[in-house]
Amino acid sequence: MSEPFHKLLGRLRRDHEPLSDEVVKGFLRILERARIEDIPCSQVYNRLDEYVEKDVHGHAAAKLMPLLREHLDCCHDCSEEYEALMRVLRQASGEG
Amino acid sequence: MLAGSIILQPMVTRSNANWLSDLRAKGGARESALSDLRDVIQHGLPFAVSRWVSAQDPFFAPLLEEVTQETLLRVLDQLDSFEGRSLFTTWVQKIAVRIALTELRRKRWQDSSLDEMLDNDVSPAPPGLMADRSPGPDVLAERDDMIAHVRRILEQELTPKQREALILLGIQDVPLEEAASRMKTNRNALYKLLHDARLRLKRRLGAEGLNAAEILSAFEPK
Repeated sequence: MSEPFHKLLGRLRRDHEPLSDEVVKGFLRILERARIEDIPCSQVYNRLDEYVEKDVHGHAAAKLMPLLREHLDCCHDCSEEYEALMRVLRQASGEG
Repeated sequence: MLAGSIILQPMVTRSNANWLSDLRAKGGARESALSDLRDVIQHGLPFAVSRWVSAQDPFFAPLLEEVTQETLLRVLDQLDSFEGRSLFTTWVQKIAVRIALTELRRKRWQDSSLDEMLDNDVSPAPPGLMADRSPGPDVLAERDDMIAHVRRILEQELTPKQREALILLGIQDVPLEEAASRMKTNRNALYKLLHDARLRLKRRLGAEGLNAAEILSAFEPK
Protein backbone atom coordinates (compact mmCIF):
# COMPACT_ATOMS: atom_id res chain seq x y z
CA MET A 1 0.00 0.00 0.00
CA SER A 2 1.39 3.39 -0.94
CA GLU A 3 2.07 5.86 1.81
CA PRO A 4 -0.26 8.85 2.08
CA PHE A 5 0.49 11.81 -0.12
CA HIS A 6 1.27 14.28 2.68
CA LYS A 7 3.68 11.79 4.28
CA LEU A 8 5.39 11.30 0.95
CA LEU A 9 5.83 15.05 0.61
CA GLY A 10 7.22 15.26 4.12
CA ARG A 11 9.70 12.53 3.36
CA LEU A 12 10.71 14.22 0.12
CA ARG A 13 11.41 17.38 2.06
CA ARG A 14 13.34 15.66 4.82
CA ASP A 15 15.44 13.31 2.76
CA HIS A 16 15.93 15.51 -0.30
CA GLU A 17 15.29 12.60 -2.56
CA PRO A 18 16.30 13.34 -6.13
CA LEU A 19 13.49 14.77 -8.18
CA SER A 20 12.31 12.44 -10.91
CA ASP A 21 12.84 13.38 -14.55
CA GLU A 22 9.13 14.05 -14.96
CA VAL A 23 9.08 16.38 -11.94
CA VAL A 24 12.10 18.25 -13.32
CA LYS A 25 10.29 18.64 -16.65
CA GLY A 26 7.17 19.74 -14.76
CA PHE A 27 9.20 22.49 -13.09
CA LEU A 28 10.52 23.58 -16.47
CA ARG A 29 6.98 23.89 -17.76
CA ILE A 30 6.12 26.05 -14.75
CA LEU A 31 9.13 28.24 -15.49
CA GLU A 32 8.01 28.71 -19.06
CA ARG A 33 4.98 30.52 -17.68
CA ALA A 34 6.82 32.54 -15.03
CA ARG A 35 6.72 36.31 -15.38
CA ILE A 36 8.93 38.87 -13.75
CA GLU A 37 6.14 41.20 -12.62
CA ASP A 38 3.21 39.90 -10.69
CA ILE A 39 0.58 40.93 -8.20
CA PRO A 40 -0.74 38.82 -5.33
CA CYS A 41 -4.05 36.96 -5.36
CA SER A 42 -5.52 39.40 -2.82
CA GLN A 43 -4.92 42.34 -5.15
CA VAL A 44 -6.52 40.44 -8.02
CA TYR A 45 -9.53 39.62 -5.86
CA ASN A 46 -9.90 43.25 -4.80
CA ARG A 47 -10.19 44.38 -8.42
CA LEU A 48 -11.81 41.32 -9.98
CA ASP A 49 -15.35 42.75 -10.02
CA GLU A 50 -14.11 45.89 -11.78
CA TYR A 51 -12.06 43.83 -14.25
CA VAL A 52 -14.93 41.49 -15.12
CA GLU A 53 -17.35 44.37 -15.66
CA LYS A 54 -14.89 45.99 -18.06
CA ASP A 55 -14.43 42.68 -19.84
CA VAL A 56 -18.14 42.00 -20.19
CA HIS A 57 -18.75 45.46 -21.56
CA GLY A 58 -15.89 45.20 -24.05
CA HIS A 59 -13.71 47.84 -22.42
CA ALA A 60 -10.36 46.18 -23.11
CA ALA A 61 -9.90 45.05 -19.53
CA ALA A 62 -6.67 43.22 -20.31
CA LYS A 63 -5.08 46.37 -21.73
CA LEU A 64 -6.30 48.55 -18.90
CA MET A 65 -5.24 46.12 -16.18
CA PRO A 66 -2.42 44.05 -17.74
CA LEU A 67 -0.89 42.78 -14.49
CA LEU A 68 -4.23 41.41 -13.43
CA ARG A 69 -4.60 39.66 -16.79
CA GLU A 70 -1.13 38.15 -16.46
CA HIS A 71 -1.92 36.89 -12.98
CA LEU A 72 -5.09 35.25 -14.30
CA ASP A 73 -2.99 33.52 -16.96
CA CYS A 74 -0.72 32.03 -14.29
CA CYS A 75 -3.00 31.42 -11.31
CA HIS A 76 -5.47 28.59 -11.72
CA ASP A 77 -7.66 29.45 -8.74
CA CYS A 78 -8.01 33.16 -9.58
CA SER A 79 -8.69 32.23 -13.19
CA GLU A 80 -11.52 29.92 -12.14
CA GLU A 81 -13.07 32.71 -10.09
CA TYR A 82 -12.75 35.13 -13.00
CA GLU A 83 -14.49 32.70 -15.34
CA ALA A 84 -17.26 32.00 -12.83
CA LEU A 85 -17.92 35.69 -12.32
CA MET A 86 -17.85 36.24 -16.08
CA ARG A 87 -20.58 33.61 -16.50
CA VAL A 88 -22.74 35.37 -13.92
CA LEU A 89 -22.36 38.78 -15.52
CA ARG A 90 -22.76 37.49 -19.05
CA GLN A 91 -26.11 35.90 -18.27
CA ALA A 92 -27.16 39.04 -16.44
CA SER A 93 -26.35 41.13 -19.49
CA GLY A 94 -28.19 38.69 -21.72
CA GLU A 95 -25.17 37.18 -23.45
CA GLY A 96 -25.08 33.86 -21.65
CA MET B 1 -27.57 24.61 -19.92
CA LEU B 2 -29.07 25.10 -16.52
CA ALA B 3 -32.38 23.31 -16.92
CA GLY B 4 -34.26 23.13 -13.67
CA SER B 5 -32.47 26.15 -12.29
CA ILE B 6 -35.05 28.69 -13.36
CA ILE B 7 -34.78 31.49 -10.90
CA LEU B 8 -36.34 34.68 -12.11
CA GLN B 9 -34.00 37.57 -12.76
CA PRO B 10 -34.44 39.81 -9.75
CA MET B 11 -35.85 43.19 -10.64
CA VAL B 12 -33.51 45.16 -8.47
CA THR B 13 -32.78 48.70 -9.54
CA ARG B 14 -30.99 50.18 -6.57
CA SER B 15 -27.97 52.36 -7.12
CA ASN B 16 -24.77 51.54 -5.26
CA ALA B 17 -25.52 54.34 -2.81
CA ASN B 18 -29.04 52.99 -2.20
CA TRP B 19 -27.77 49.49 -1.57
CA LEU B 20 -25.32 50.80 1.01
CA SER B 21 -27.81 53.06 2.76
CA ASP B 22 -30.54 50.41 2.84
CA LEU B 23 -28.20 47.74 4.18
CA ARG B 24 -26.97 50.14 6.86
CA ALA B 25 -30.51 51.16 7.80
CA LYS B 26 -32.68 49.57 10.47
CA GLY B 27 -35.97 47.76 10.01
CA GLY B 28 -37.88 47.31 6.80
CA ALA B 29 -35.46 48.98 4.41
CA ARG B 30 -32.67 46.68 5.51
CA GLU B 31 -34.87 43.58 5.44
CA SER B 32 -36.02 44.41 1.95
CA ALA B 33 -32.46 45.03 0.75
CA LEU B 34 -31.28 41.74 2.26
CA SER B 35 -34.14 39.89 0.60
CA ASP B 36 -33.31 41.46 -2.78
CA LEU B 37 -29.64 40.72 -2.34
CA ARG B 38 -30.48 37.14 -1.58
CA ASP B 39 -32.34 36.93 -4.90
CA VAL B 40 -29.39 38.47 -6.71
CA ILE B 41 -26.99 35.89 -5.26
CA GLN B 42 -29.29 32.94 -5.90
CA HIS B 43 -29.92 34.02 -9.45
CA GLY B 44 -26.23 34.23 -10.28
CA LEU B 45 -24.84 31.22 -8.43
CA PRO B 46 -26.13 28.48 -10.76
CA PHE B 47 -24.21 30.11 -13.59
CA ALA B 48 -21.13 30.63 -11.46
CA VAL B 49 -20.85 26.98 -10.45
CA SER B 50 -22.23 25.40 -13.64
CA ARG B 51 -18.83 23.94 -14.51
CA TRP B 52 -18.69 22.04 -11.24
CA VAL B 53 -22.23 21.15 -10.24
CA SER B 54 -25.57 21.12 -12.02
CA ALA B 55 -28.75 22.50 -10.55
CA GLN B 56 -30.15 18.93 -10.48
CA ASP B 57 -27.36 17.64 -8.26
CA PRO B 58 -28.60 16.89 -4.72
CA PHE B 59 -25.57 18.81 -3.46
CA PHE B 60 -26.67 21.96 -5.29
CA ALA B 61 -29.59 23.16 -3.11
CA PRO B 62 -27.70 22.99 0.21
CA LEU B 63 -24.68 24.60 -1.45
CA LEU B 64 -26.86 27.42 -2.77
CA GLU B 65 -28.32 28.08 0.66
CA GLU B 66 -25.02 27.83 2.49
CA VAL B 67 -23.23 30.14 0.05
CA THR B 68 -26.08 32.63 0.12
CA GLN B 69 -26.07 32.82 3.91
CA GLU B 70 -22.31 33.10 4.13
CA THR B 71 -22.22 35.74 1.39
CA LEU B 72 -24.84 37.90 3.11
CA LEU B 73 -22.93 37.73 6.38
CA ARG B 74 -19.66 38.61 4.68
CA VAL B 75 -21.22 41.46 2.71
CA LEU B 76 -22.64 43.02 5.86
CA ASP B 77 -19.32 42.57 7.60
CA GLN B 78 -17.35 44.12 4.73
CA LEU B 79 -19.72 46.88 3.61
CA ASP B 80 -17.18 49.58 4.47
CA SER B 81 -14.60 48.00 2.18
CA PHE B 82 -16.78 48.42 -0.94
CA GLU B 83 -15.03 51.11 -2.98
CA GLY B 84 -17.62 51.55 -5.72
CA ARG B 85 -15.31 50.45 -8.55
CA SER B 86 -18.08 48.18 -9.86
CA LEU B 87 -21.79 47.71 -9.39
CA PHE B 88 -22.52 46.74 -5.82
CA THR B 89 -24.21 43.57 -7.06
CA THR B 90 -21.08 42.57 -9.01
CA TRP B 91 -19.02 43.03 -5.85
CA VAL B 92 -21.49 40.82 -3.99
CA GLN B 93 -21.41 38.19 -6.74
CA LYS B 94 -17.62 38.17 -6.53
CA ILE B 95 -17.85 37.36 -2.83
CA ALA B 96 -20.40 34.62 -3.53
CA VAL B 97 -18.15 33.13 -6.23
CA ARG B 98 -15.16 33.03 -3.87
CA ILE B 99 -17.22 31.31 -1.15
CA ALA B 100 -18.82 28.82 -3.55
CA LEU B 101 -15.61 27.84 -5.30
CA THR B 102 -13.73 27.52 -2.03
CA GLU B 103 -16.40 25.11 -0.83
CA LEU B 104 -16.42 23.16 -4.10
CA ARG B 105 -12.62 22.86 -4.10
CA ARG B 106 -12.64 21.72 -0.49
CA LYS B 107 -15.25 19.09 -1.28
CA ARG B 108 -13.46 17.95 -4.43
CA TRP B 109 -10.23 17.38 -2.54
CA GLN B 110 -11.97 15.78 0.39
CA ASP B 111 -13.58 13.30 -1.98
CA SER B 112 -10.45 12.34 -3.85
CA SER B 113 -8.55 9.61 -2.09
CA LEU B 114 -4.93 10.06 -1.13
CA ASP B 115 -4.09 6.88 -2.98
CA GLU B 116 -5.60 8.26 -6.13
CA MET B 117 -3.49 11.37 -5.78
CA LEU B 118 -0.40 9.23 -5.35
CA ASP B 119 -1.25 7.21 -8.43
CA ASN B 120 -1.36 10.47 -10.35
CA ASP B 121 1.78 11.76 -8.68
CA VAL B 122 2.94 13.61 -11.75
CA SER B 123 0.65 15.28 -14.23
CA PRO B 124 0.76 13.67 -17.64
CA ALA B 125 3.37 15.24 -19.80
CA PRO B 126 2.19 17.10 -22.89
CA PRO B 127 2.03 14.97 -26.01
CA GLY B 128 5.24 16.52 -27.26
CA LEU B 129 7.17 15.11 -24.35
CA MET B 130 5.53 11.71 -24.49
CA ALA B 131 5.89 11.11 -28.19
CA ASP B 132 9.59 10.41 -28.04
CA ARG B 133 10.33 8.44 -31.18
CA SER B 134 13.49 6.48 -30.54
CA PRO B 135 16.12 9.19 -30.24
CA GLY B 136 19.71 8.09 -30.73
CA PRO B 137 22.11 7.38 -27.84
CA ASP B 138 23.83 10.76 -28.19
CA VAL B 139 20.53 12.61 -27.95
CA LEU B 140 19.49 10.53 -24.96
CA ALA B 141 22.79 11.22 -23.21
CA GLU B 142 22.44 14.96 -23.85
CA ARG B 143 18.93 14.92 -22.46
CA ASP B 144 20.04 13.03 -19.37
CA ASP B 145 22.84 15.56 -18.82
CA MET B 146 20.47 18.48 -19.18
CA ILE B 147 17.88 17.02 -16.82
CA ALA B 148 20.61 16.25 -14.29
CA HIS B 149 21.89 19.81 -14.57
CA VAL B 150 18.43 21.31 -14.06
CA ARG B 151 17.87 18.92 -11.16
CA ARG B 152 21.04 20.23 -9.49
CA ILE B 153 19.86 23.81 -10.00
CA LEU B 154 16.47 23.00 -8.46
CA GLU B 155 18.13 21.37 -5.47
CA GLN B 156 20.48 24.29 -4.97
CA GLU B 157 18.00 27.11 -5.46
CA LEU B 158 14.75 25.97 -3.87
CA THR B 159 14.01 26.03 -0.18
CA PRO B 160 12.11 22.99 1.13
CA LYS B 161 8.94 25.12 1.35
CA GLN B 162 9.31 26.34 -2.23
CA ARG B 163 9.92 22.81 -3.41
CA GLU B 164 6.81 21.58 -1.64
CA ALA B 165 4.74 24.47 -3.01
CA LEU B 166 5.90 23.86 -6.57
CA ILE B 167 5.14 20.17 -6.37
CA LEU B 168 1.68 20.75 -4.90
CA LEU B 169 0.63 23.60 -7.15
CA GLY B 170 2.63 23.14 -10.30
CA ILE B 171 2.95 19.39 -10.57
CA GLN B 172 -0.02 18.03 -8.63
CA ASP B 173 -2.41 20.85 -9.58
CA VAL B 174 -3.68 21.02 -6.01
CA PRO B 175 -5.91 24.13 -5.64
CA LEU B 176 -4.23 27.09 -3.99
CA GLU B 177 -6.60 27.13 -1.01
CA GLU B 178 -6.07 23.44 -0.37
CA ALA B 179 -2.30 23.67 -0.71
CA ALA B 180 -2.24 26.67 1.62
CA SER B 181 -4.23 24.73 4.17
CA ARG B 182 -1.86 21.76 3.98
CA MET B 183 1.16 24.01 4.32
CA LYS B 184 -0.44 25.93 7.18
CA THR B 185 -0.25 29.26 5.41
CA ASN B 186 -2.65 31.43 3.43
CA ARG B 187 -3.39 31.67 -0.28
CA ASN B 188 -1.64 34.99 -0.74
CA ALA B 189 1.54 33.97 1.03
CA LEU B 190 1.65 30.71 -0.86
CA TYR B 191 1.23 32.39 -4.22
CA LYS B 192 4.08 34.75 -3.30
CA LEU B 193 6.25 31.80 -2.27
CA LEU B 194 5.55 30.10 -5.58
CA HIS B 195 6.16 33.26 -7.55
CA ASP B 196 9.48 33.92 -5.81
CA ALA B 197 10.56 30.33 -6.46
CA ARG B 198 9.73 30.57 -10.15
CA LEU B 199 11.59 33.82 -10.56
CA ARG B 200 14.60 32.54 -8.65
CA LEU B 201 14.83 29.51 -10.91
CA LYS B 202 14.23 31.52 -14.03
CA ARG B 203 17.02 33.95 -13.14
CA ARG B 204 19.45 31.14 -12.33
CA LEU B 205 18.73 29.45 -15.65
CA GLY B 206 19.13 32.79 -17.40
CA ALA B 207 22.47 33.39 -15.69
CA GLU B 208 23.65 30.11 -17.21
CA GLY B 209 22.38 31.05 -20.66
CA LEU B 210 19.46 28.61 -20.46
CA ASN B 211 15.72 28.98 -20.65
CA ALA B 212 12.95 26.55 -19.88
CA ALA B 213 11.35 26.61 -23.32
CA GLU B 214 14.61 25.72 -25.08
CA ILE B 215 15.35 22.88 -22.69
CA LEU B 216 11.85 21.46 -23.08
CA SER B 217 12.07 21.74 -26.86
CA ALA B 218 15.02 19.31 -26.74
CA PHE B 219 12.54 16.67 -25.55
CA GLU B 220 10.12 17.17 -28.38
CA PRO B 221 10.18 14.72 -31.27
CA LYS B 222 12.18 15.90 -34.24
